[in-house]
Amino acid sequence: MVGSLAQPTHLPPYFKLRKVSSKSAREREREPSLFAFAMPDPFLNELTSMYERTTERGSVWVTLKRSSMKSKAKRNKMTSAGETIEYRCLVRATDGKKTISTVLSAKDHLRFQASYATILKAHMSALKKRERRDKKKAGDGQTKQEDLKKPPKKSSS
Amino acid sequence: MVYISSWDEFAERSIQLFRADPQSSRYVMKYRHCDGKLVLKVTDNRECLKFKTDQAQDARKMEKLNNIFFTLMARGPDVDISEVSGKEQSEAQPTKKGRGRKQ
Repeated sequence: MVGSLAQPTHLPPYFKLRKVSSKSAREREREPSLFAFAMPDPFLNELTSMYERTTERGSVWVTLKRSSMKSKAKRNKMTSAGETIEYRCLVRATDGKKTISTVLSAKDHLRFQASYATILKAHMSALKKRERRDKKKAGDGQTKQEDLKKPPKKSSS
Repeated sequence: MVYISSWDEFAERSIQLFRADPQSSRYVMKYRHCDGKLVLKVTDNRECLKFKTDQAQDARKMEKLNNIFFTLMARGPDVDISEVSGKEQSEAQPTKKGRGRKQ
């Protein structure tokens, strides 16, 4: 690959020109997108493992979008023909490297949102819980009680 | 970035945004366990609303908002949001019972 292009002589050696290996682009095209619209259940399983994998490092993005899964041209044809377009919910998830997706119809979404909520609750454990109130009760609770006692005494005297 | 500090404002504006253009609006959630941060974004590719948090209580609110969005997206933007907890439904039931048999 390196030998096929004339190297620029005026630039330092590390600026070697490389042919953009078209092989990798072709390989990318050939690679079957593994989760091209998986069913909701395998999608949820994969989403769970995604959350588990990213505990130490990384993020999980989940995108929700309404889609009819049809091209704009077809949609216009359908509306002009008077056919009702069925809309679905497209859910995509990625960890920055791998993307998975699924499509939900109106009847799927109830079951999906329950499982999805369970997954989120189980994995979003790193978020802070309201500890301030607890700390105040434990440590400053006594002083607060004293403070409460003082004003009434002052008002009475 | 358009970060909104109040949850209620974020929720209301994002629902309005979605209802105005359901075809191009999307709802994105990013969670980083290592930082303990959650970021929500709703955009229609023209306007963008974001909400950032590290509180567990906001995660619970977010779940409710998730349910609202799921309903809106699957059934259509004109659906009455019953807030999933069924507040409207629970209000409707007693009145129906009232109209029914008096025991």
